[in-house]
Amino acid sequence: MLINKNLVTLNLEAKNKEEAIIKLAELAQKEGKITSVEEYARSVFDREKAYTTGVGNGIAIPHGKSKAVKEAMIVFGKTTDGIEWDSLDGKPVNLIFLLGVPEENVDNVHLKILSQLSRKLMNDSFIEMLKKAVTVEEILNALSDIQVS
Amino acid sequence: MKIVAVTACPTGIAHTYMAAEALENAAKKLGHKIKVETQGSIGIENKITQKEVDEADLVIFAADVAVKEESRFKDKPIYKVEAQKAIKNAKAVIEEALKLVNK
Repeated sequence: MLINKNLVTLNLEAKNKEEAIIKLAELAQKEGKITSVEEYARSVFDREKAYTTGVGNGIAIPHGKSKAVKEAMIVFGKTTDGIEWDSLDGKPVNLIFLLGVPEENVDNVHLKILSQLSRKLMNDSFIEMLKKAVTVEEILNALSDIQVS
Repeated sequence: MKIVAVTACPTGIAHTYMAAEALENAAKKLGHKIKVETQGSIGIENKITQKEVDEADLVIFAADVAVKEESRFKDKPIYKVEAQKAIKNAKAVIEEALKLVNK
């Protein structure tokens, strides 16, 4: 599974995007998805430098491809205080999807799930569902119907 | 109008697909036919054939990296933008692109 209940946090507290990325990466390390928070986070920060992953609508989708990633993953964080993310629409971010992909031997099925998730983030009703969700189960349910075609 | 589009980004994990979805949704709303090829980490998906290029009125590249097999599109008007522009406002991207044809 790309995501499980331990990779979801509904009260992420972070002052800025770097801290948010590190905190979510720490969850991934606890679950054994990555070998090094530092190394993985570096790949994410590099990606952010190219241009922002704050895609508007309160959503950010930071991601990194790194040797430190053992298995493709999704970590989800929700915050009540918006985080400044240089978003495309200038608004702060409340929903963060941190994605990780290994450098080599990536499972195509995983990549397809990540691509389907990215597409769904353009869908207003999906976003509304995530914004309204108050339990981890609701988040997991919303994500569980991502189908690999 | 018949539009064909290609989306691509450096890691090919997120923006490629978000831009594709945004363009598909916007084209539908504007009443145009569109086929969007994604060139991402999975490789090329929903590939545009030469026949489809020939039949298209317009080509859009929403890409931050070089588009693969670009020669397919050589005889067509091509509108090039960054992938994030399509994510931010796909409708505006399509409307701008259409100006290439309606000139």
